[in-house]
Amino acid sequence: MNIEIEELAKEFGTTRALHPVSLSIPSGALVALLGPSGSGKTTLLRVLGGLEFPTSGRVLFGGLDATGLSVQDRRAGFVFQSYALFRHMTVFENIAYGLRARPRRERPAEAEIVRRVNRLLELIQLPEIGGRYPNQLSGGQRQRVALARALAIEPRMLLLDEPFGALDAKVRKELRQGLREIHDRTGLTTVFVTHDQEEAMELADLVVIMSMGRIEQVGKPTEIRARPATDFVRDFTAA
Amino acid sequence: MSDIALTRPVPVTTEPPLARYLLIGLAAVFVALFLFAPLVTVFVEALRQGWVGVIDALRLPDAQAAIRMTLTIAAIAVPLNATFGIAAAWAITKFDFRGKAFLITLIDLPFSVSPVVAGLMLVLLFGANSTLGGWLIANDMPIVFAFPGILLATLFVTFPFVAREIIPVMIEQGRTEEEAALTLGASGWRTFFTVTLPNIRWALLYGVLLCNARAMGEFGAVAVVSGKIRGETATMPTMVEMFYNEYLSVAAFTLAAVLAMLALLTLLLKSLLEWRHAELLAATRRH
Amino acid sequence: MRAGILRSPSPLPGFGLSFGIMMTVLSIVVLLPIGALLGRGLMIGPADLWDMVNSRRIWSALTLSFRAALIASLFNLVFGLLLAWVLVRYRFWGRRFVDAAVDLPFALPTAVAGIALTALYAPNGVFGQALAPFGLQVAYTEVGIWVALVFIGLPFVVRTVQPVIEELEPDLEEVSATLGARRTHTLRRVILPTLTPALLTGFALALARSVGEYGSVIFIAGNIPNLTEIAPLLIVIRLEEYNYDAAAAIGIAMLVVSFAMLLAINAIQVWSRRRIGNV
Repeated sequence: MNIEIEELAKEFGTTRALHPVSLSIPSGALVALLGPSGSGKTTLLRVLGGLEFPTSGRVLFGGLDATGLSVQDRRAGFVFQSYALFRHMTVFENIAYGLRARPRRERPAEAEIVRRVNRLLELIQLPEIGGRYPNQLSGGQRQRVALARALAIEPRMLLLDEPFGALDAKVRKELRQGLREIHDRTGLTTVFVTHDQEEAMELADLVVIMSMGRIEQVGKPTEIRARPATDFVRDFTAA
Repeated sequence: MSDIALTRPVPVTTEPPLARYLLIGLAAVFVALFLFAPLVTVFVEALRQGWVGVIDALRLPDAQAAIRMTLTIAAIAVPLNATFGIAAAWAITKFDFRGKAFLITLIDLPFSVSPVVAGLMLVLLFGANSTLGGWLIANDMPIVFAFPGILLATLFVTFPFVAREIIPVMIEQGRTEEEAALTLGASGWRTFFTVTLPNIRWALLYGVLLCNARAMGEFGAVAVVSGKIRGETATMPTMVEMFYNEYLSVAAFTLAAVLAMLALLTLLLKSLLEWRHAELLAATRRH
Repeated sequence: MRAGILRSPSPLPGFGLSFGIMMTVLSIVVLLPIGALLGRGLMIGPADLWDMVNSRRIWSALTLSFRAALIASLFNLVFGLLLAWVLVRYRFWGRRFVDAAVDLPFALPTAVAGIALTALYAPNGVFGQALAPFGLQVAYTEVGIWVALVFIGLPFVVRTVQPVIEELEPDLEEVSATLGARRTHTLRRVILPTLTPALLTGFALALARSVGEYGSVIFIAGNIPNLTEIAPLLIVIRLEEYNYDAAAAIGIAMLVVSFAMLLAINAIQVWSRRRIGNV
């Protein structure tokens, strides 16, 4: 599903988190929102997920206006920076949560839920951990469970907030590859936020560089390396 | 051994053994004199005429009416306060709005108002001498010297209990788990019951426990608004006073002993909660 | 309403409902009654209010309530700190038991505490008899009021100071020792200043509670006008005489004291947050 962002602005009180920004994300792309902290990248992601409401501007999903759509109706798989796994539920219950939350008419039968959760556990290559609780998992395992939980609702897109931020360097590399594979397999339009330019350049098809609530440049990693549009982009990507 | 003990250096983060024993001893004496002695006295005085006296006292119709009254009040006041506490905590911790700090101060206000003054306020608002009170009495809905007044007085003095315990826990846990539930398609109520409530349940139970103890034990505010009518508006604590003033010492201390047992049960449950769920209650205790 | 009150919109639902319940209950249970008391005061007028409060009996009662609360809270400041320190820092048999017992005054109804203390300290009681040879009488004197208020206020100091002691970093004490400080010096110059905000908060909480305390005091006090008659009791007496204006006048005086102390507690917390970072 393609995403169109039109003149989107967001103010918190008197501070502007986002100046009007516009961006179009083609269907099936893997996009990185890259920038230092305070650049507005997380705010933009949360607006896409329906967790923040824009002060002005529009968001379109597949050509339809989604600006006023409630979080629940967006069906955007959202992976939180801290993963936000439900501590009192097992891994299995966490992943099944979205399916069980559906209205009765649309809810799959219990056997079907079990089947789907098990398939997702295999997809994230952790078939054995369904009965464990989040605090019994390593950081990397938690991240993959959060991803599986987001995928369980058959989302229309995948939104990830600093998905590798809390992990050490070795696990980070592995999981990058994992995300790439899941993206390629599902074909979902995927947007992730990062402050790590190496991560963005290596993983994404399209990199959106942000600073101070503005989009500085949008392009393929090779284009951005070859022709930085502004001084900020040159300094930031040189680091 | 003693030579070694003397030459062994004391760790720098504690006191010498002698000072330690002295301080522990002092604390033990203080606790024995000021806390345990009164508690033991309650049971000793209740049993002054043996178990017969206790059973006779509990058979008194006034005593039974008072026990029923106290249980009824607690059974209504505690759920009401829990509902209020949850609503207040949800509004305060999940949203940013103007005047929040002031509101928290208002919720804490009943802690620093004398219970007698609280009772006085209710008498002035709903008593026969006020316009509102006069109208309510004329329409056969008396509040002061009647059940609703006792309920309102109990609600006032227990007002902050539940909110105070769960607000720090909810602040510490943040909003992301609820946000995650919403992105997965859960409705607001479902999010509350499946994500928020399990996360705050121990703190909630803790608050309910303290709220219940105070609701059953409140004296000053209830004494003022209830009119202490025997068999009608007298609660256990006010009945204790009436028995005591009539020199019915065994009856007074028997009811007091029942209340003391409830207090001990409260402390036991509270301690169990603190030992079992220390981490979950950490935010509450730091507050 | 949502847009008017909320600073920023939120994806979480239920603001209207939860805010509505909170404000409704707050208004009925707390705000309206306080308004009734203050409204009564306005109707009486400041001059008449002053005349009503300005009698020897009321001044005696108000100063007694405040003085006894102050003395008891100072006592609790010392022994509350001692108990908190012993409970956190030392391991001894029965520690958990004592720790649980500290909350007894929170859980035990005040009237129960009142008659129990009276039975103990009355001239024929266990403590009363023990103290009599020394010419000390506790029950039915001001000292009895102090004892009741020590009981009531103790947990406030212990429970405010205890978590702060638990979170003290041992580095501070170690560095003090490496700099050559003796243990007493470290306690006085390093530990005590760190605990000061919590001690003050606990002291103020105990004081606020003690000033308005009624149930535990009236049994042991003797209630002699001008001598051992506390302010809340005077309110009850005026109400029983149906003298609502006089009761309201004393009530307002006490409410002013409560507000002042609430402000003091908040000021202590703001001050310590600015100085140390948390309470």
